[in-house]
Amino acid sequence: MNIKLAPINSILFILALFLTSNFSQADTTTLSAEISHTNQLIFTPLHPNVNTKEKLRLEILGTTGKLTWVATHGKIVGSGSKITYIAPEQSHEEIITVTDETGNKASLIFKINSFPKLQLKQVLFLLFIGFIAGLVSGFIGSSGAFILTPAMIAMGIPPIIAVASNICHKFPRASIGVLKRAKSGAIDIKLSFIMGGSAAIGIWYGIKLQTQIKDTFGNLGSGLYVAIIFVTVLVIVGIYYIYAAIKAYNQHDNDIQTEKTSKIANWLQSINIPGTMVYLPSLGNRISVLFIIPLGLITGLLTASIAVGSFFGTPAMIYILGVPILMATATELLIAFIMGLVGTIQYAINGFVDIRLAMIILAGSLFGIQLGIISATYAKNYLSKAVISSLMLLILINQGFKIPVYLSDLGKISPLSESVISVLNQISFISLILALVVGLVVILYAFVQAYRYLITDNQTEIIPAEEEEEYYPTSITQLSPTKRFEKILLVSDRSKFSLGAEKEAIKLVQKIEGHLYAMSVVVTNAEHESLVRQIFEKENKDAHTHLEKLKIKAEDAGINCDINVCHGVKIYHEIIEEAERKKVDLVVMGRRGYTGLKRVMIGSNTAKVIGHSYCNVLVVPESVQIQNKKILVAIDGSRYGDIAANATIKIARHLNAPILLVCVLQHTEELREGQHIEAVKLIKRTESFMNQEGNFSIETKILSGNPAQSILEIAEVKQVNLIIVGSHGRTGLDKVIMGSVSDYIISYAKCAVLVAKT
Amino acid sequence: MDNRTNLLIQTILLGLFSAIFYFLLYYFNEPILELSTQGGWYFIIPVSIAFLFSFIHGAFTHYFWNVLGIKTKFIQK
Repeated sequence: MNIKLAPINSILFILALFLTSNFSQADTTTLSAEISHTNQLIFTPLHPNVNTKEKLRLEILGTTGKLTWVATHGKIVGSGSKITYIAPEQSHEEIITVTDETGNKASLIFKINSFPKLQLKQVLFLLFIGFIAGLVSGFIGSSGAFILTPAMIAMGIPPIIAVASNICHKFPRASIGVLKRAKSGAIDIKLSFIMGGSAAIGIWYGIKLQTQIKDTFGNLGSGLYVAIIFVTVLVIVGIYYIYAAIKAYNQHDNDIQTEKTSKIANWLQSINIPGTMVYLPSLGNRISVLFIIPLGLITGLLTASIAVGSFFGTPAMIYILGVPILMATATELLIAFIMGLVGTIQYAINGFVDIRLAMIILAGSLFGIQLGIISATYAKNYLSKAVISSLMLLILINQGFKIPVYLSDLGKISPLSESVISVLNQISFISLILALVVGLVVILYAFVQAYRYLITDNQTEIIPAEEEEEYYPTSITQLSPTKRFEKILLVSDRSKFSLGAEKEAIKLVQKIEGHLYAMSVVVTNAEHESLVRQIFEKENKDAHTHLEKLKIKAEDAGINCDINVCHGVKIYHEIIEEAERKKVDLVVMGRRGYTGLKRVMIGSNTAKVIGHSYCNVLVVPESVQIQNKKILVAIDGSRYGDIAANATIKIARHLNAPILLVCVLQHTEELREGQHIEAVKLIKRTESFMNQEGNFSIETKILSGNPAQSILEIAEVKQVNLIIVGSHGRTGLDKVIMGSVSDYIISYAKCAVLVAKT
Repeated sequence: MDNRTNLLIQTILLGLFSAIFYFLLYYFNEPILELSTQGGWYFIIPVSIAFLFSFIHGAFTHYFWNVLGIKTKFIQK
């Protein structure tokens, strides 16, 4: 109950804050224009709203002869009835006086705005609307900026600054998704650059247009432009969403949309315009760039105008070009990044980005996104479409009812009475508040529902700890890491690199008659999941399908297998947690093959699992088989070497394989007699220990040189199938600086490597 | 170190970094705004700040929800 009441209380609190904080234009942008008319001299614009250092084109009508312009603080550039006024660097009350030849004089008095000063209530409100925008972004899987720009304008932030700051706050997060998607090949790079390049031109033109409108008509003109674009876009997209919501409700269509290339896309792909054709991997076909460029231009223009370009870009790629949905959403990430970067740079060059506002919105938005995503996961498809269409309708009303007010203030229509303006403003304001409340309440309600599922899911995942028998260790089992090779966790990343691990894990479980747990990790990142939800849903579906197939294979081999798809920020965290939850004795993993500097720099999950886990880890490179050939065990006299030796005994029993016992002396040049004797003693002691435990075929070798390289060389010469090493358990910086023999062996071995940990 | 403790420490550290950066932004908001709105090559300032905050605060919020056990799970509806 508390969970349900909390959001309602928050809404009431924030609403009260909002309503009492009087976020009017006068409060934050300090607009107070006065005008005195003498002999019908009329200024255009009548109510200039000017920021510091801003240029304003000013016109006066009704004058006679030569004019003299005087400004108390700013500069006047030009002469005649149309001049350009350049505002000073500081906020002042400005008086512009113009006198004509007949002595007629008119004065325009207004206050020059600076960027709004930050007050606590404004910071809180920005956080609040940022949070709701994040919720909406996560919930609908698209940009929530369409709710943010109008809310910022309603706070009194000049429209151009609202749009610029809005673009600035969200573009870096697309970059994370771009890097990730580019690696997996989901992005059509060629299409991204053609669309992104043309979108950049669209943005450049859009910002130029915005700036010109602002210079000519001030913030009122800018607000009118934003409102008109919003209304046009929201009418089109809103109608589409209502249609989609009804369709989803009727068809109970909750799955990822089935893909069918549209008629228009087929038609466009069939047209051959020589010299303009380009092959797009996402289409698997050629298409003329002349069809792509206009789409990019419109996307860019929309981004520059209202900070929402993805409303057009993604559907256009899908329905007009015929790009598959998953590739379109991934490609849109790169386009969004290019547009965001270009847009932010260009707006910042013109000095319109208020970085404080952008970062406050970001703070709220990032908290909201993850809740939005979780809410959407459990919400019915038609509900999310219904929510977005309701929000669009409310924002449509919010912006639509402002248009007559802007037109009246700009003198483009006959002036509206104060009461009419007041009613229109109130309707606009209420619709915005309703949009914020609907967004917050519905999405948080969906989250509360989702949270119940989350708790239930988590509970089912926890396996109660088995009551362990009182265990009295013998000489071997005291150290033996393989005393209970009963539960094996197979980690699959669904790539070819895991094939070897999958085969060997099944074979191993068969031999030891144990239990197999198979897992796969889907990495989640709320920031870009909100932008490319379909891709994550597909990844999850693929992981489930892959593990189901693996389970069938295991069951065919006569072993019990449980599967689980885990979600988390870091792959190795999830693997270690799963290993601990299931109390496994061995983790079997593939190796991606990162070597050298790349591996040191980025680390590999296998290395991290080895570094952090408490159980043994078997690393199986791609297409390697652990046959009954030979097991190499490296000892160095430390207890880690003993652990490796003990592990070897158990494994050799299971595999019925001969053992190659190796000890490496590091000092080749200064090899001392004493060291060699020590090594011989060590080998003899271990050999005799092994012989006590079973009848093994043991070959011994004392090598000199670099331990890791020597072990790998002998392993290759002797055709070893499995190397067993102990782990000193170094992690993090220590490991990077010092390196370790096991680490090197795991990275470069051509056969499987078992790292004995306990 | 326990895996969960490790995650918690990372979350706290990221939260601390994020809080420090936001405090600095609030404390120096006027000079930062003045520099970032000068136009021209000063565009680098808002762009860099946006990247920095997005990565740090983004990582923090993501860890924050994960530590609370609120993490994305996709289900086949």
